[in-house]
Amino acid sequence: MSDTEHPGPHRDHLISTPSADALLPATPVEIELSGALQLSERHQARRENWRLIRRRPAFMIGTFIVAVWLVCAALGDRITPHNPLDFRVSTHLSPRAAFPFGTDSQGRDVLSRVMAGALDVMKVAPLAAVLGVVFGVTVGMLMGYIGGWLDQILSRIVEAFLALPVLLVALLAITTLGNSTLVVIGVVSALFTPVVARTVRAAVLAERDLDYVTSAKLRGESSLFVMFKEILPNVSGPIIVELTVRIGYAVFTVATLSFLGAGPQPPSPDWGAQVSEGFRVISAGIWWTTFFPAVAIASLVIAVNLIADSVQSVLEAS
Amino acid sequence: MGRYLLRRLSSAIVTLWLLATIVFLIVSVLPGDVGRKVLGPFALKEDVARFNRQLGTDRPLLAQYFTSIRRLFTLNFGSSYNSGGLVRDIIFPALFRSGKLALLAFVITIPISIAAGIFAARRQDKVSDRIVVNVGLATSSIPEFVTAALIMSLFCVHWKLGKVFADPPAGTSVIGQLRMLLAPAMAMVIAYFGYIARMSRAGVIHGLQSDYARTATMKGLSKGKVMRTHILRNALAPTITVISVQVGYLFGGIIGVEKVFNYHGLGSTMLSAVKARDIPVLQGAVLLVGMIYMVSTLLADLLIAVLNPRVRLETTR
Repeated sequence: MSDTEHPGPHRDHLISTPSADALLPATPVEIELSGALQLSERHQARRENWRLIRRRPAFMIGTFIVAVWLVCAALGDRITPHNPLDFRVSTHLSPRAAFPFGTDSQGRDVLSRVMAGALDVMKVAPLAAVLGVVFGVTVGMLMGYIGGWLDQILSRIVEAFLALPVLLVALLAITTLGNSTLVVIGVVSALFTPVVARTVRAAVLAERDLDYVTSAKLRGESSLFVMFKEILPNVSGPIIVELTVRIGYAVFTVATLSFLGAGPQPPSPDWGAQVSEGFRVISAGIWWTTFFPAVAIASLVIAVNLIADSVQSVLEAS
Repeated sequence: MGRYLLRRLSSAIVTLWLLATIVFLIVSVLPGDVGRKVLGPFALKEDVARFNRQLGTDRPLLAQYFTSIRRLFTLNFGSSYNSGGLVRDIIFPALFRSGKLALLAFVITIPISIAAGIFAARRQDKVSDRIVVNVGLATSSIPEFVTAALIMSLFCVHWKLGKVFADPPAGTSVIGQLRMLLAPAMAMVIAYFGYIARMSRAGVIHGLQSDYARTATMKGLSKGKVMRTHILRNALAPTITVISVQVGYLFGGIIGVEKVFNYHGLGSTMLSAVKARDIPVLQGAVLLVGMIYMVSTLLADLLIAVLNPRVRLETTR
């Protein structure tokens, strides 16, 4: 959808969002139509936000970097210059034309391995983040909407979870439960749940006593309907922000876990595993096997955070 | 103040108890048969049974639970499955070593990042401010082990500016130890700089726009005096909270840094415990870090209450 075809009055600035002027005149006719109006209004506000986000250079840079890694992850050894798992006699070659990132201790091409390694992190991190947000939204919604003793108890538990050192608990859980991708995803998403729940709870608390919720209750809608059909769309802003931020943290956590040995095992070209393999020979002056996968991790984490930061500043301003 | 203290202390104890419960669930309830999980599917039945008896994991869950809660208050975390020694004797010396590294990192980070935050806040939305904010965002989002690996591969190996191993030989002087710890500490400084700088920047900007700052300026106080005696007092509260929260994260991130620089602290102790599946050591370390986190956030809240009387009054009402 191109925004040039949309000659809205709010072309140049974000100061007047559509929802702001819709509040002013409320003739009876408009009130009757308010259901339909609200929907298109929300639509318009979303499109406006999306345009503001895309205009930020940080967002574009972040998206570009993520896109590059997505292509590497999707195509894997179909686009790598060499097979990422092929052994060679020429081990520890420093970077040169044939091997721009050098070769590792088995003579494998570091560039190809860095490209192929994008897949591991791209599989695990977003899934863990999405699951964590889904659980967190559910728990936070219950805490904020139902409130009372349920909220009291869950708040305490959330607070205790927030006191847990995420990485250490993840290590502990992976040690006792086993070192599979499923366990990593489950543990990381479980550790993200409380943080998301706290954010969603706060957002729901601000909505709970507004008129549209009261009128939905008076209409006799079920709690589930009110929570997920009425309130959820109105707290989508903080949820989207939380999701982008969580993806960044998930990449961070998953990469660190695999560096510490709780993740895909070598020969897998996973970035964290590569760094951990590479630094064993670093004292012999072989820096490139550690350096390039480390840069890959850094670039992806920074890119995701640039996106998250742009989304956050636009959505929180509106 | 006494009431505030009491309330804050009791909430810390409840949280600590929940924390121990969560760790207990992960270690003893979720795996089902702990011995089987640790020894793997091919271990002999007798070995698994002996393992469970040694660890006490064949006892009823409730009895195990009471033991683990009692251990929390006596700081006795049982004995290591691997070496047979007391977990306490393994993790406390390791904690001391990690503490040295962490302390050095904090001593460098805190003044630099608060100064950078104030610097950026005074030049809000100018180029130098954007640089501080974005560099902070970028560096604080990179995992510590990556920063450590980059410092190691570039500065220590490629340009030969630092030491590859951070472990000082026995009898090294304090200065010598500091020099060896500098490179790993820098990795942590880079990781924690961003959060603290951004937080103090936000606090100072908020303070600069406030009425009390305007009044103080109109009273004729100098810029520096307004900043020191009026703004910082208020602006640093969120920064102190962030720093105290960082203490918990720090002991997560330090594992990677210690592994990269071969430093034998709490992190590498935990890693060898992971390899040996030495659950009591791991459990003890996690609980210990949780306790440190609780104490540091508690201290931070008290410090904030001392700096800002409104906090005390709000909760006693």
